[in-house]
Amino acid sequence: MEYVIGLLLIFLAVLVAFYALVRETDDLHRLLLTDLAEILALVLIALVATDLAEALILPGLVVGISEIMALSEIYLVKEKLTKQPKRVVKLEIMDSAPAIMSLILVMYGIVLSGFTGGALAGLGVIFYFMCKGHDERFEIIETASGYAWVMWIAAFFIFMLIPQYWFFGVMIAGGAILLKVMGKMSLIGTMRGDSDV
Amino acid sequence: MTPEFLLGFIILLIGTVSAAFPKPKTWLNRLINIEIAAWGLMLIMLSYNESLAILTFVAVTGISTFVLVRVIERRSDI
Repeated sequence: MEYVIGLLLIFLAVLVAFYALVRETDDLHRLLLTDLAEILALVLIALVATDLAEALILPGLVVGISEIMALSEIYLVKEKLTKQPKRVVKLEIMDSAPAIMSLILVMYGIVLSGFTGGALAGLGVIFYFMCKGHDERFEIIETASGYAWVMWIAAFFIFMLIPQYWFFGVMIAGGAILLKVMGKMSLIGTMRGDSDV
Repeated sequence: MTPEFLLGFIILLIGTVSAAFPKPKTWLNRLINIEIAAWGLMLIMLSYNESLAILTFVAVTGISTFVLVRVIERRSDI
C-alpha cells in the first residue's frame, strides 16, 4: 500500500519536473533541472526499500555526478566560458573553516571506508583545495591510484585462493577504493584556480 | 507509514514544484530549491534505513553543488 501511494506521488513529481524541463529554453536551467530529475529517479529506486535499493542507488549516484560534471564542462566550452571569472565568490568562512571541516570529513571517510568513505573524504579534500588553494602535484595522485589497483587485485586473489581470509580481503578492497575515489574526487577541487581547467 | 516517509514526500513534492517553477527565476534560486527536494529524498531514505545510500548521497550532493556553482559563477560574470 505504502509502495503504491509512493509510486503515484513520485510519478506526479516526475510529471511536474519533466513539464518544466520541456518548457525551459535556457541551457543552464535545463542542466539544473537534470539534477532534479536525478533526485526523483533516486526516490523511485529508494522506494524498493531493500538492500537491492542501496545496491542500485550507489551506481546511480556515480553516474549522476559524472553526468553533471561532463555536461557542465560541455556547457562551459559551448558558451566559451573557459576564462577564469573576474569576480569569484569569497566568503570569510572559506578562510576559517577548511582546516577543521576537512579534517573531520577525511577522518570520518577513512572510518567508513569503501566508496562512501572515499566520497566523503574526497569532499573534505575538495573543500580544502577550493578554499586554501593548491599546488599541482598530480603525480602523487597517479601513484596512489596505481597502488590502489594493486591492492584491489591482491584482494581479488585473496577471495579466490584463500577464501577463509575473506575479511582481510574486504578490508584491503575497502581501503583501495577509498584511496582511489578520494584521489579522483580531489581533482575537482583544483578546477577553480586556473584558467585552462 | 512512518512520519519520516510522509514528511519526506511532502517536502519532496514542495521542493519539486518550487524547483520546477522558481519565482525569481535565477540559477542560484533554482539550485537552492533543488536542495529542498534532496531533503525529501533523504527523509524517504531514512524511513527505509538506507544508511549507506544517505551518506553517499550527502557526499555526492556536496560535490555536485561545487560543480554547478562553478558553472553559475562563470555564467553570471559576463
